[in-house]
Amino acid sequence: MKRFSLTKLFKGLNLTSFTLVMVFLYIPILILIIFSFNDAKIITGWKGFTLKYYAQLLKNETIQIAFRNTMLIACLSTLISTILGVLTALGLENKKFSGSKFVSILIYIPLVIPDILMGVSLALLFNFTKVNTGMLTVLIAHITFCISYTIIVIRSRLDDFDYSLVEAAMDLGAKPSTIFWKIKIPLILPGIIAAALLAFTLSIDDFIITFFTSGRGFDTLPIYVEGAIRRGTITTINSLSTIMIGLTLLLVVTTKRIRKIVISSL
Amino acid sequence: MKIIPENNPNYALQLATERKKNFTSWLLTAPALLWLIFFFLIPYLIVIIYSFLTADIYDVKFEFTLEAYRQCLTPAYLHTLFLSFRLALLTTLLCLLLGFPVAYYIARAKDKVKNTLLIFIIIPFWTNLIIRIFSWRIFLAYNGVLNNILLNLGLISQPLEIMRTDIAVILVMVYVYLPYMILPLYSVLEKLDWTLLNAAMDLGANEIISFFKITLPLARGGIFAGGLLVFIPALGSYLIPQLVGNQKSLYLGQVITYKVKNIPRNWPMASALSLILLLIVALFLIMFYVLYSHSKSRRRV
Amino acid sequence: MEEIRLENLSKDFDGFVAVENVSLSIQSGELFSFLGPSGCGKTTLLRMIAGFEIPSTGRILIGNTDITDLPPYKRQVNTIFQNYSLFPHMTVFDNVAFGLRIRKFPKNEINDRVKEMLTLVKMEDQANKYPDQISGGQKQRIAIARALINKPKVLLLDEPLAALDLKLRQHMLIELMNIHDAVGITFIYVTHDQSEAMSISDRVAVMNYGHIIQSGPPDDIYERPTSVFSAYFIGATNLITGEVIGIEDDYVQIRCPDGTGNSFEIDSTFHFQPAIGQELTISLRPEKIAISRNKPRYQEDINILRGVIEDILYLGSHTQYIVRVGDLRIRVFSQHKRVYFDDTALDWEEPVWLFWHDTDTWLIDEIPENVLTADELSEGGINHFQRSLKRPTAQ
Repeated sequence: MKRFSLTKLFKGLNLTSFTLVMVFLYIPILILIIFSFNDAKIITGWKGFTLKYYAQLLKNETIQIAFRNTMLIACLSTLISTILGVLTALGLENKKFSGSKFVSILIYIPLVIPDILMGVSLALLFNFTKVNTGMLTVLIAHITFCISYTIIVIRSRLDDFDYSLVEAAMDLGAKPSTIFWKIKIPLILPGIIAAALLAFTLSIDDFIITFFTSGRGFDTLPIYVEGAIRRGTITTINSLSTIMIGLTLLLVVTTKRIRKIVISSL
Repeated sequence: MKIIPENNPNYALQLATERKKNFTSWLLTAPALLWLIFFFLIPYLIVIIYSFLTADIYDVKFEFTLEAYRQCLTPAYLHTLFLSFRLALLTTLLCLLLGFPVAYYIARAKDKVKNTLLIFIIIPFWTNLIIRIFSWRIFLAYNGVLNNILLNLGLISQPLEIMRTDIAVILVMVYVYLPYMILPLYSVLEKLDWTLLNAAMDLGANEIISFFKITLPLARGGIFAGGLLVFIPALGSYLIPQLVGNQKSLYLGQVITYKVKNIPRNWPMASALSLILLLIVALFLIMFYVLYSHSKSRRRV
Repeated sequence: MEEIRLENLSKDFDGFVAVENVSLSIQSGELFSFLGPSGCGKTTLLRMIAGFEIPSTGRILIGNTDITDLPPYKRQVNTIFQNYSLFPHMTVFDNVAFGLRIRKFPKNEINDRVKEMLTLVKMEDQANKYPDQISGGQKQRIAIARALINKPKVLLLDEPLAALDLKLRQHMLIELMNIHDAVGITFIYVTHDQSEAMSISDRVAVMNYGHIIQSGPPDDIYERPTSVFSAYFIGATNLITGEVIGIEDDYVQIRCPDGTGNSFEIDSTFHFQPAIGQELTISLRPEKIAISRNKPRYQEDINILRGVIEDILYLGSHTQYIVRVGDLRIRVFSQHKRVYFDDTALDWEEPVWLFWHDTDTWLIDEIPENVLTADELSEGGINHFQRSLKRPTAQ
């Protein structure tokens, strides 16, 4: 039918580009996963199924240390940046707060500046103050880039907060402290969890800022992987990557609701 | 007329309550505020200071000089700036061209499938960056999957050398930043009132005219937001050119990193280049802000 | 002259039949309404005429040209959308000029015609405002100007007043009629509001389940409904089922069971030939019935019923009584002229007489699936009734 050929063309074009983009987004990852089971030293061709690279992972102490470092940094920076996020968001709730604008601007700037600049500036700070780079400096850096995200996520949750609930609680005779712990915190809890999750993901994903602030001897997983790629010792990276992708997927699938909050607040 | 005159005791009470609340707010925001001052603002002051110092092999010498800036303006570094700028611009445009139909498609999909489609866009976004780059290395390598497939299909007789070229860099850049473009585009297109397109067609505009006269202008906010989200990080990217590009054409992120990490170090130059990058980003932010608020304020006059 | 003709139009959406076999012709310059409850297919019909939906079967003709296959932008038809659909990023002026600019008219002609149009809708001083700066009624006017400037042969209006409040709605209704008179083109108006359709239209088509139930001038549909649905959907009515027991030359006698095992008789004139023993429905408009506590004087052509007042609802311009006759509930509207009949106000549970002229009894050759309960009757909701109506089967 010649009718509406242009509309159909548009629709077809959109569907085609969606499919192409899907292929584009997933093909490399799928290949990586498949090759993690490939019994070959180099990446050419399929030489048969194996799990030996997964076994190698378990024996590789460097990887295990890097993994432990990553988790430690991620947990600590998530904890601290989430606490700071809750406090700051609560402080910014006061619409007449005289520092509101200054604080807001300071929060948003790190989000719109390339990561590498934060890495360079922190590297120079630690050099200038003669602090030895290592776990502490990495932790400081991670908290610095996580804070903005946690504050914004929790704050947007607080903005949606229905204040009439507080009034209802007061009407029913609740004290301010009761209102805070029994009404406010439970209602913004999904936002807090979402913020923590986001901070955790950002922390385990970060390469560039860690690269600038970690000294020799303190590797996180991304730092290790990058080094291994550069050195060409890549046999275990496929399997390591597959495990990390699996963990991410698990996180994404199990926290559907929380992910929604993160998306809607950014 | 003031409802509560200043000499009314209630006024003083109200003022005191407000002061108390304000103080509490300062107290609550203080930890994050101090943290950002110490670890975000002050480091930039140090960057500014360092950019005027003299370079040393391992550290800096505290002697004032403009040498770093002078070097930044030499053709070699201007070329780096140009390359980075071109890469970021190209990445942004390609992301827009590729992302718009995708965002459009998802926004017009049935409500039930919308979320699923969005998740498919977001999953790569939550996967570790290095892993994603690494997977492209496997895919594009000289003896990698793509070449194998093409050779077996008989489409080429010689493996293509894509890895370690600018094409690979752009490909992976688009791959990594595409979700940043799709999500803001989707969020404006999702809110678009589709009956407006019906109205335009009713008034004589065909699909192409209504797209350019209605859809595109109304999606401007998303295009701006997506453009910034892609352009700014692309401008300072290090990892992608480092892992899939060649060492002949270095990008800004790589140069800055080398000046900090490699021996001989040149921290003043790293600082100066960082400040130039910061300046470009700031200019772009201001430009977009002005353009955006202009297009919005026209409606509010 | 005939302006637009629909021939056997049908539309189904994945098995759901929205419009079924509709044929109709609308005269040039006519103000024609499609009236029906939501989901009756009236909007789909309109969208097919506008070109937004492709008919599953049938043809649409404007004048003598078949436009069934033309995309919306090639039809000499314009639409006023339910929420106006003004382009938010364009000024009032640019919105109105849109159609002319698409057709590449010279600039000064566009200017003149936009100004002329804005004057017609009394919006000449708002040209530089944006849609979010003007009120609902003003948006409505701009939508009209934006459509009419293209000099369409037919203007389609899809529930154009639905978004306005009552007072503004009444005002805009008159304005719309004035505009219609001024431009003289064909208007096709879609609404679920029967009073809107009745007051504005030259002709109305009552729709339900994708069919045109009845079409004709408003008074025809109100006074002479040919189906139970149009009797009930337009205005309020009492529906009583009964059996024909006697036929004289110009009237019939109908026996109506009252639900308690007893029955009463109603006389009626008729417009179709009933047969003895035939079951049919009587439609009795509440305002045609008189109510009194005194028995009226016997007259040959007057129907008289005895009942008890069950409910009284004061409605300002009139009072509604629900009167129990056996197990039936009869609704009566009485204007406040009770001095003619009674000195004191009627009261709850008071026995009363109902009476009306034979010619006010209206017979419908159809039996609804089930008769309304008293609750549904007093709520007066059409939905209850719709539910009880059988979906017509396709022929």
